Amino acid sequence: MMAQNDNKFNINIILIIIAILVFIFLPNFVSGYYVRIFTAIFMYATISQCINLMSGYMGYLPFGHVMFFGIGAYMTAILMGRGLPFIVAIPFASLTAIIVSIILGFPVLRLRGHYFAIATIGMNGAIMSVAQNATEITGGAMGTTFPIILLPPGQVYNYFYLAFLGLMVITTLAMYFIVNSKFGYGIRSIKANEDAANSMGINTTYTKVSAWAIGAFFTSIAGGLYGYWMSFISPDEVFDLMFVTNSIIMMLIGGAGTILGPITGAFIIESLSEFAWSGFMEYHLAALGIATIVIVFFVPKGVVGTIANKIKNRRIALSKKAEVSNG
Amino acid sequence: MVDNDIILDVKSISKHFGALKAVNKVSFQAKKGEILGLIGPNGAGKTTITNLVTGDLRKTEGEVFFKGKNVSNLWPFQIARVGLTRTYQVVKPLQGMTVEENVLVGSLFGRGDRKNDLNHAKKNAQEIMRLVGLYKKREFVVSDITLPDLKRMEFARVLAMDPEVIFLDEVMAGLNPSEVEETMEMVRKIREDKQLTIVYIEHIMKAVMGISDRIIVLHHGEKICEGSPQEVCDNPAVIEAYLGKKYAKEVMNS
Repeated sequence: MMAQNDNKFNINIILIIIAILVFIFLPNFVSGYYVRIFTAIFMYATISQCINLMSGYMGYLPFGHVMFFGIGAYMTAILMGRGLPFIVAIPFASLTAIIVSIILGFPVLRLRGHYFAIATIGMNGAIMSVAQNATEITGGAMGTTFPIILLPPGQVYNYFYLAFLGLMVITTLAMYFIVNSKFGYGIRSIKANEDAANSMGINTTYTKVSAWAIGAFFTSIAGGLYGYWMSFISPDEVFDLMFVTNSIIMMLIGGAGTILGPITGAFIIESLSEFAWSGFMEYHLAALGIATIVIVFFVPKGVVGTIANKIKNRRIALSKKAEVSNG
Repeated sequence: MVDNDIILDVKSISKHFGALKAVNKVSFQAKKGEILGLIGPNGAGKTTITNLVTGDLRKTEGEVFFKGKNVSNLWPFQIARVGLTRTYQVVKPLQGMTVEENVLVGSLFGRGDRKNDLNHAKKNAQEIMRLVGLYKKREFVVSDITLPDLKRMEFARVLAMDPEVIFLDEVMAGLNPSEVEETMEMVRKIREDKQLTIVYIEHIMKAVMGISDRIIVLHHGEKICEGSPQEVCDNPAVIEAYLGKKYAKEVMNS
């Protein structure tokens, strides 16, 4: 039994490494158009992973999570505008996001359910206003530009493709280790029953704020990379709730509370909107909304969750059979 | 009175909801290793006392000492970590998780600062599930098991936390007589194995009388009697609280 599990684990690791290698070398074989689509998929998958930790595992839907995306983008822009290189600006940007998340986390994570979701939207609005009105630092509502990236034009796409691929892989690995640790069980217990979790010795406040700060960390890096990639950002754009709404839909379709769900969802939604729906833009959002309702009603566990459930049920049935035939 | 045997010392705790005095200046002590019964009619304040001691409710007044340390102002998770735990009358399973994961969470957290060691915690959880007879159902999701099993699981979860004092809030409610017998036997055995102090809150008189070393009777939020099961049974105030004044008079005269 044990050995079988180990084998399975090894096969999974080998499959994942092969997939990563394929994606690393993919840009050499496809056109810039596809490279750009994949870059967007990786970015959404990263944000969706962070929302999955908060919502899929912990039960707190952070609608205003995009504030960390915006903070990451703006802090990177501001610091690079002062002459810092990108690689130095990013850590400072994510540090800012973490500090903001901790300061806001303590009051706002006392709220539960819809109240929490709405409070985060309000906070996102407040931070967006700061970006719009602190004109001397942020450039105001007109937006701000990044320094031009010093690479041959052909390589710029590949640079961001690889950066977002790396970010997605690291985020996913981090989530995998978090969810399967003691801290992860604390997070899942909060979704399951927060009072019971508290009475079992879980410091719920600390756990909630930490999970929120971890999400802020990865999302702000995605924000910084996005800004550098676009080379121009404005408050309306990087604080747009659509980033989070899309990520939530991806999480739901892929499977909330699963590690591979957000990535699967990002691939499904982004490819659908690029290849199938780009022909009729005006119906795109309506179709997305209907798809979400259908998914929530009929496949509440998402693609990955449903498949994982099937596999698990079959395993239990098999072990039952073995038990019966043995004894 | 300084006594090293006293593990839990509740000093005159009260909880007022507006004008309602749900618990009014109740004091009691629990000795190490004993089973202390806490009984009373509906609304006597049994569960409220549990909530006050474990920090789920804020006290209006009074103090709680655990092993000589004041734990009155700690959060529930801090109280759980010093070794003072409880089960819930209305079960609070961790929804969406399996029985094993529920017990595992108790084993991962619980008393003291525990290491992030899943394998050790898993072994501990499995041992405890065997002890309470849940091992065969470990892979079930909690929404798929029956109420008696849920109560058993809550007990297992609390045991996995390796506590010193457990408040068992009506673990027998909803069980049939043979299950009551079984559970009583289990509680007695585990208490002896693990040197636990149990505060036993119960409606079923037979269970309380059979299992408790000492009993405290509550009525309208006040302690009306304390003593051995026999003393409590013979106390006129207790009979009155349970049966009413008129019937109590008849019983005493006969």
